[in-house]
Parts: sequence; structure tokens; C-alpha cells
Amino acid sequence: MDVDGDVEESSRRVQVRFITKLQPPFKAPSTSIAIPSNLTRMGLSAVVNNLLAAGNADWNPEPFDFLIDGELVRMSLEEFLLAKGISAEKILEIEYIKAVAPRKEEEPSLHDDWVSAVDGSNPRFILTGSYDGLGRIWKAAGLCTHILEGHSAAVTSVSVVKSKGVESGTDLVVATASKDRTLRLWKFDVEESLDHPMKIRASKILRGHNASVQSVAAQPSGDMVCSGSWDCRINLWQTNESDAGDKLVPIKKRKMDGEDEETQSEGEAVSTLVGHTQCVSSVVWPQHETIYSASWDHSIRRWDVETGKDSLNMFCGKVINCLDVGGESSALIAAGGSDPILRIWDPRKPGTLAPIFQFSSHTSWISACKWHKKSWFHLVSASYDGKVMLWDLRTAWPLAVIDSHKDKVLCADWWKGDSVISGGVDSKLCISSDIYVQ
Amino acid sequence: MKVPKEGSRSVDSQIPQSEKETNQKKKEETLNTKEGEEPQVELPTDSESGDEIFSEDDDALRESGSGESESLGDEDIVTTSDGEGLSDDDGNHVQENGSESDEAHEGVEESDSSEDEVTPRNTIGDVPLEWYKDEEHIGYDITGKKIKKKERQDKLDSFLASADDSKSWRKIYDEYNDEEVELTKHEMKLIRRLLKGKAPHADFDPHAPYVDWFAWDDAKHPLSNAPEPKRRFIPSKWESKKVVEYVRAIRKGLIKFDKPKEEPQIYLLWGDDSSSTEKAGHGLAYIPAPKPKLPGHEESYSPSLEYIPAQEEINSYQLMFEEDRPKFIPKRFMSLRSVPAYEKAVNESFDRCLDLYLCPRARKKRINIDPESLKPKLPSRKDLKPYPTTCYIEYRGHKGAVMSISTEASGQWIASGSSDGTVRIWEVETGRCLRVWEVSEAVQHVAWNPLPELPILAVSAGQDVFLLNTGFGNEEEQEKIKELLHVETPTMPEDSGNSTSAVTWAQDDKNKGIRLKHFKSVSSVEWHRKGDYFSTVMPSGESRAILIHQLSKKLTQRTPFKLHGLPVSSAFHPTRSIFFASTKKNVRVYDLLKQKLVKKLEPGVREISSIAIHPGGDNVIVGSREGKLCWFDMDLSSQPYRILKCHPKDITNVAFHRSYPLFASCSDDCTAYVFHGMVYSDLNQNPLIVPLEILRGHTSANGRGVMDCKFHPRQPWLFTAGADSIIKLYCH
Repeated sequence: MDVDGDVEESSRRVQVRFITKLQPPFKAPSTSIAIPSNLTRMGLSAVVNNLLAAGNADWNPEPFDFLIDGELVRMSLEEFLLAKGISAEKILEIEYIKAVAPRKEEEPSLHDDWVSAVDGSNPRFILTGSYDGLGRIWKAAGLCTHILEGHSAAVTSVSVVKSKGVESGTDLVVATASKDRTLRLWKFDVEESLDHPMKIRASKILRGHNASVQSVAAQPSGDMVCSGSWDCRINLWQTNESDAGDKLVPIKKRKMDGEDEETQSEGEAVSTLVGHTQCVSSVVWPQHETIYSASWDHSIRRWDVETGKDSLNMFCGKVINCLDVGGESSALIAAGGSDPILRIWDPRKPGTLAPIFQFSSHTSWISACKWHKKSWFHLVSASYDGKVMLWDLRTAWPLAVIDSHKDKVLCADWWKGDSVISGGVDSKLCISSDIYVQ
Repeated sequence: MKVPKEGSRSVDSQIPQSEKETNQKKKEETLNTKEGEEPQVELPTDSESGDEIFSEDDDALRESGSGESESLGDEDIVTTSDGEGLSDDDGNHVQENGSESDEAHEGVEESDSSEDEVTPRNTIGDVPLEWYKDEEHIGYDITGKKIKKKERQDKLDSFLASADDSKSWRKIYDEYNDEEVELTKHEMKLIRRLLKGKAPHADFDPHAPYVDWFAWDDAKHPLSNAPEPKRRFIPSKWESKKVVEYVRAIRKGLIKFDKPKEEPQIYLLWGDDSSSTEKAGHGLAYIPAPKPKLPGHEESYSPSLEYIPAQEEINSYQLMFEEDRPKFIPKRFMSLRSVPAYEKAVNESFDRCLDLYLCPRARKKRINIDPESLKPKLPSRKDLKPYPTTCYIEYRGHKGAVMSISTEASGQWIASGSSDGTVRIWEVETGRCLRVWEVSEAVQHVAWNPLPELPILAVSAGQDVFLLNTGFGNEEEQEKIKELLHVETPTMPEDSGNSTSAVTWAQDDKNKGIRLKHFKSVSSVEWHRKGDYFSTVMPSGESRAILIHQLSKKLTQRTPFKLHGLPVSSAFHPTRSIFFASTKKNVRVYDLLKQKLVKKLEPGVREISSIAIHPGGDNVIVGSREGKLCWFDMDLSSQPYRILKCHPKDITNVAFHRSYPLFASCSDDCTAYVFHGMVYSDLNQNPLIVPLEILRGHTSANGRGVMDCKFHPRQPWLFTAGADSIIKLYCH
């Protein structure tokens, strides 16, 4: 094949074959070709685009990423082969995937104050929390539908509680945690079309923490939420009021507030997980019976909900601010904290507590990290240096750096599987979309 | 001792006068020479038995009476006989010996054997025979008649006669009597035996078995009944003196047992004797100057033509560097007389003098010590992690220099006071400013109540101390705080007025807190660990400079202690009821219960600026205006255990970490230093102090740098407040 015969003859050539798992329009002929070995990722991308254009007349060039032996190519092909000790004699199989990078930057959604928390687990809307004490529901960039009003201090964390109404988009429940020591649960209907944002009140107030609540996470089934707080405790709360009525004490709280006719129920903690000695900065609830928590006492713990005991206690030497569990079989722990390094542990690995991956391209504290829901390899991280980075476990370099914030980024999440949403000190919610992740 | 023999003395009168005189003179001369000769002193190495043997030998010889043999024996055993003579009592023996040796000295061959049997013809006595050499007679006979010399035989005839005569070898010419003597067989035998070194008589047995004639066994009484003399039992004084003398001589090396090794008298004639190292190796203190190179052919006044450089070469020398140029360019002169004087002679001799004067070539006594080994053995910084290293978060918002910061007990918030008259509360995690209070004057000091359930902030600004409700804590706590921070305005001034009119407690409506109005400006405010008492310092307050206030009763007390000097700051002991008050010169430690001075710490610095107490309570660090940081171990002494001089400018504040073994100092040079300060519970072990990190980042404003530093209460993080209105957080 002499597809790229115009490439200079002087360099050495490698016999390669491009393979892919992509769907037919992206499938290149799987015959082997000789390409110059000094090609970088960009050159390879051009080659593949040429190949595809040969089969398709109206082909739009597309950036690709290339995998050799499960590792992303981040240098010239020759250097890569040398570094990995791969023989250039036989035919090299290069898998190409679509490059994971945001192709579109949506208009930022403005808040009144710092955006402290964001949740994009529901593809229909984005839930944000802000330092003005309000939670907001955004259907799209710049389109705010609901304002969750009630917290007397900054919202620190938000979480979408999966309930029966997820599919229909009605009767949705979300939880917010705040520095006013309470958590609130909110119910709303996403499908309501409104001209201006509707203010809604909390359906339930969860009181019990003695200090700022720092983090909230919902059980996958949606029945319970857990929260981590500055009082070193993790509290578990019921979300539904009906089936556990004896525990809940409905109180007409605001009698003096004339406009408030809606009854607000208050909830108490079902149980408390005690063990951390400092602020619990982050909690996640990935499986029905397991809660992971990270704390300022430099530890990451895994709790068994049934027994209330910690089954894993990892000491990591740094203050941890954010934690997420995902990746390969949803078992890898990613955490970032008071240093610029994003670390990933594999708790299944026996005998060692050393992180299996360390990503250190940030320059300041890491404020958020989230695994992609579908992909085993992709992560997003946000840092106080104002950058949001996309990571792939198969390379040590960030796939993409989103530099849309002007100041600290406080929160970031994936949305709809192809967008990254992030909020920061510049009071903006930025959405970077069109990220193709397998 | 020469005494003339009897025989010769009697003859003396017959000798003519002149002869006699000359004789006398000669005798005197010989006397003199005898006296001049010192008796030889030799080590008496011979044993007593040896002496006996020799003396016996002598006796035997004397008995034999052979003059010749005696003279021979004399030559051999002169030393022993002399030594014996010294120890012997027999004076005659000495005399005899002396005379015999004298005869030997004169070299006269005189046979005594004939003397014994026949009286000699000649009676001149023991005088040199040369005196009669020119005379016709050889002497006088017994009757005084001259004995005529015999006619001299012709040498040839005498030779022939001796050749003919078979017995001529036995004949000896006796010069004294002027006659020929024929030796008998017996005499020959004697002579032969003597020559062999045997006893002259064949029947004499020198090794005869000893016959003990005294019957020791049967004797009832000892030979002598005299008691053993004392000298037998005491060591001889003279012996010991002699021994000492010898020992000294041996020590001084005057007596040597080994012969000194003879060193070869060879040296390297053509070797390079200017090698100073060789001489230096022999312990020479100075290094001789290297010898100049010997002149070669080119230095000759008329060197061969090949030594003379061509003109191009001389020109090329000019292009070379001064150092590379040849020092001497050979020149050729027709005769030695046309050689000019050396033009650089004065310069070079001056240089040489300078060299000698300025560079004394003395060996430097340098101790070869590895400089690394002089350093104290400190643990590596890596092992002392964690400690703050990098600034990650900045807290911006103040308009003026941040004078003071204080951390909340949990570490979630910090409060800061600035010279722009505001007090702010910041969220540590994000750097968000949560709350701002406006107080009218520049804030000097802020202090957070140490109790987590009482989030009250004490702020000193100007003459006022404000107690502010931060609004943290749950509802119950808020209720309690509001109650605490409520003052019934009319009663309080009276209450405090009777004891001290220095302070009035008043409600501050604007900031929802208490305002304590002092009569002088307050520089610092510190809380007691229980959160009820707090102390304020008014540097110009004289006797009421340091006041202790009680929040729950709204009371103010004067400290009963007298301060000597201007107070700077105060602090409560972290566990006991002990109070630290620092003036500009020293730190006084008071026991509040016993109300007495416990200790006075003398840092010996110019001006103290700040103190901090170790959470254990036994160690204090003191920062001074000249940049010195003193660490006091209160159990050890009132003098500093360590003085760390690291800041080039004033230290503004010092701080201990509550749980980690860290302490820090910040200074007007815009840096903060972090140290490892490990205090051991073992009293025998001194605190370990290791400098860890210099934290930079602040910029100078109005000549001030970092105004305050505080550790995070739970993390190894350091907050620094800068005069550039920024607060920075340094994390590990």
C-alpha cells in the first residue's frame, strides 16, 4: 500500500495494521501498510483519516488516539517502540480510538456565588450547589429550571438520589449538604417547562451533624443517603418518608414564615459510622452495602453498612478532599487532596498500599475527581490551579486540559457520558461537551 | 711510687756528683711521668676467684725468681696486678710491681736469674746504660774499680763464630755486665713454658684440687665469735652510688653496649638535592627554597649560533602572552668584557627580598579533618516529614498588612486581623472569606477561643479588645455564646471600677459582642486553655500592663507580679496554671496559684518580640528583634538551650505545632522558617532541633515582611500572614 507515498523516504518504515472497535464509518481496511516510524500521534491520525477518506468521499477528518499493547501512543512511533522494546520487524497492530477531548465549549452558566458542588449523574439535568446557599437545576447550559432554596449557609455537596421517577423525569429526589450542618432532600419535576426558574423548598431536612456537612452520597437504590461532616462522623439517612413514619417527626417549622404552607419533615440519622478522627471530606456509595469515605486524617476507609465497621483503612499521608470509586470492575479508588497528585489505588491488591497510578500534572490541590461511568480508563479531575483534566489510565499524560475557569475549580463531574461539567470560584458552571468515550 | 732499690742507694754516694745530679733529674722526670699517668680505671669484671688465681700465679712467678719471666709476666698481667694492688693491703708488693714495671718501661733486657746465683759484677745499679755508652768502662765492681769494656768483636767474626758454635743460639749478651751468658737447659725449659703461657715449673699444677684444711663439721665454735657486722646486711652505699652512676651513664649514652652501626659514607653526588619533600620528611620545620636552575649553554656570553633566536622568533615572542614568553633570550657577545650588567638585578633582588619577607617557607601545621565530620549528626529532612513545604492556597481580601492570624480549634476556619481595621474569617479549605467585621482601628491581635464549643474571637484593636461571636456552632452553643457575650452595661463599670479602672466592659452593638475598653493600646490578647480567662498586654500600661480577664464573670484582674521592663506578650501554660510574661529583655514565669515567680528566662537578646510555649509546657521558644530564635528547656536552665540565628531581620512571631514536632518562625525578611523540634519524654535526652524548610513567597511592604505565622491545629500546615495583605497556607 502506498497511501502516504508523499512521506519522505529517508526515515525507517514500520509495517502496521490499523484495527478498531469503532463502528463501520470509522473502520479502516485492515490490511497492513508501511508507514514511517517517526510519525507521531498526529501523523498516525492523518494516516487513518487518509485511509478512511479513501473509502468515503465526504469524510470529515477526525482526531484519533492510538493504542499499542494497551498503551496510548504519546511520542513518535519509533521512540515508543524503543521504549517498550517492541520489535519493529513484524506487523504492528495499532488500535485506534476516537480522541477523548472536548470538541465543544458551551456557554458558561452563571451563578450568584461560587459553585461548590455539581452532579451530573442524571442525563436530564445538572444539579449544582453554590456558596449562596442555593441549589440549582440546569436542563442545559444557561437554562436553569429550579432553584432549591432553604440552606442558610453554603451548599457543599449535592447528590442525585435515584428514585422510581428517574425514567419519567418526574418526582425526582436530590440531596444537598450544607455548612449550616443540615442536609436537605428536594423533590421536583424536571419535565415542567417554565419561563423562569422555579423556587422550591426542601421536602425533608436532615439534622444531626454538629458541624458543616462536607459531602453527601446516595445509595445506588436511592433509599438512603450518607453524609460526611466536619464532626468526623458519617451519618446515614433514610430518604423516603412514608415507609418509616415512626422515625420521622413532621414538624411545622416555619410558622412565622407566612408564605410557607408546605409541610417540611425532619429526619434523623439512621446510623452513624464513627472512626475518622478529622473532617470527613468525601463519601461515595458505589454499592448497596459499601461506603467509601475519605478524611482529613489522611485515611480512606471502606465501611460495611450492615455492621457499621470499616473493612478497609488506607493511610495515604495527605489530606484527601475528593474520592471516587470506579474503573475496572468499579473497584479502583481515585483520590486527590492537599497536593497536586491524583492517586489511584487498587484495594484488591494484597499487601501494599502504594498507589498504582499517580497523575501529577496539576499544580495545586485537587478538588474533585470522578470516574467515567462507563469507561474503565477515563477520569476527570479538577484542581485549584483552575484546570480540569481528563485522564486515561493508559498514559501518564492528561488527555485534555480544560482551561475554561479563571480561578479555582471546586467541582467537576461527567454528564451524559460525553460532557464534563465543572464549577468554580468564578461562579461559572462550564460544560465541555462532545467528548467521545467508548 | 718509685723507690730506688737498696743496693743502688748505697752505691749512690760513690757516683760522681755530676752524674748523681743528672741521675736525680732523670728520676724526677720519670717520677713526673709516672704521676702524670693515671691508673687505668676499668670495670672490675673479674671475679674474686679469678683474682686469687692470678695472685697465686704471681706468687709462683716470684718464687721461681726468674727475672725474665717476671718481666714477661709483668707485661701480660699489668692490669690485673694493678687492680689487685688497689684492693690488697700488701704495700711491698705494690712497690715491687711498680719497680718492675719501671724496668720494663726502660726496656732493659736484664736477666735476674744470674742475679740470684751470682752477684753481678757491675754495681752501677738501675741506671740507663746509655750513660756509659761513651765511657771506656761499663761500671764499677764491688770494690769500686772501673770495669773495662771488652773489646768489640767484629760483626762478621761474631757471626762466623756463632755459625760455628752450635750452642750460640743459647748465648745471650748481657749488656749490663758486658759478658755473654749461656742459658742452661733448665732455663730454656722455663722460657719455653712461659712462652706457651704455662707455669714455668713443670711440677706446678695450677689446677690442683683444693684441700680444705679447716674441719667445718667438728667445730663447736665458729672461727670468730664476733657478731656479723652490720655492713653485711645493708646494701653498700658506695656500690649503689656506683650503680646509679653507671645507670646514668647508660641512660645518657656514655656507656654503650652495642657498637653504633656504621652508616655508609656514600651520598648521591649527582642527585637532585633540592627535593624539599625529602628533607621535609625528616622533620625539617622549614621548607628550603627551591634552587635555581643551573645555567646552560644558552646562558653563556657567547652561545653557539643555534641557541640564538632568529628575528622572526623574537617578534613572535612579542605576540605571546606575557607568562608564556621565554624569560631569557640568548645573546652573543664577542668577549666577556662586553657583557653588560644584568639590568633586572635590582628588581629581582627586591622581589627575592619580598619573597623571603612575605612568604616564610614554614611548614603549616594543618590538622587533616574531614569538614563533614565536624557537622552535627542530624537526621535527614526526608525522615522528618511531614512538614510544610509548598504554598497552595492564598487568602486574599485584606486591604492592609495582616497583623495577626488565629486558627479555630478544628482547623476549618482561620481568623485574621489586619491594619485596615477589619477582622476576617476564612475557610481554610477553599480560601473563601466567610465574614468580615469592621473595627475602627488597626487590629493588633486576634485569638480564637481554644474551646471548640465556644467559637468566640478575641480581637485587640487600639485601646479596645472585642469579643466577637463568630456564629459557628449549633443552636445550643449559640445560645450559650450569646448569653456569655451579654453585658449589663450599667453594672459592670462599677464592678470593675473598685479594683481596676483600667478596663470597662461594654456591649458592642455593632459587632454583637463585648468591647473591653482599656486605658492604653493593647498589643496582644491570649486565651487560657479553658477558654474562660484571657490576658491582655498593654505595653505602656506600667503596673497594669498585663491584665487577666474572666469572660464568664466579666471580671478583670491585675496580675500581682511586678514587671521589670516593657511587656511584650504573655502566654498561658498549656497544662498547668503557669503564666508567661515576656518583657523586652527576659521572660518571667509565674505560678498563678502560688502567686510567685517560678523562673526567669534570660535569652540575652536585644529585644524579645514573641514567645511560644511547647504543648508539653517545658520548652519555650523566644523570637527576638535581631533575628535570633532561642529555645529554652525550662528543666535544663534559664539560659537558652539553643540559639538559632537564621533570620537576617526581625523575627515577628514564633509558633509551635500542637501535635507534630514542628515549630516555625516568621520574620520581616519575608520568609518563614520551619524547624523540627522533637521533645522527648525521656528527661535525659535533649530536644532535637533540625532546620527543615525556608518558606518564601511573601513580598515586603513598608519594610515589613511576614507578620504572623500559625500552624494548622491538626495538619502539618503553616499559615503565614504577610504585610502584603495576603495570608498563605503552606502544605506538606
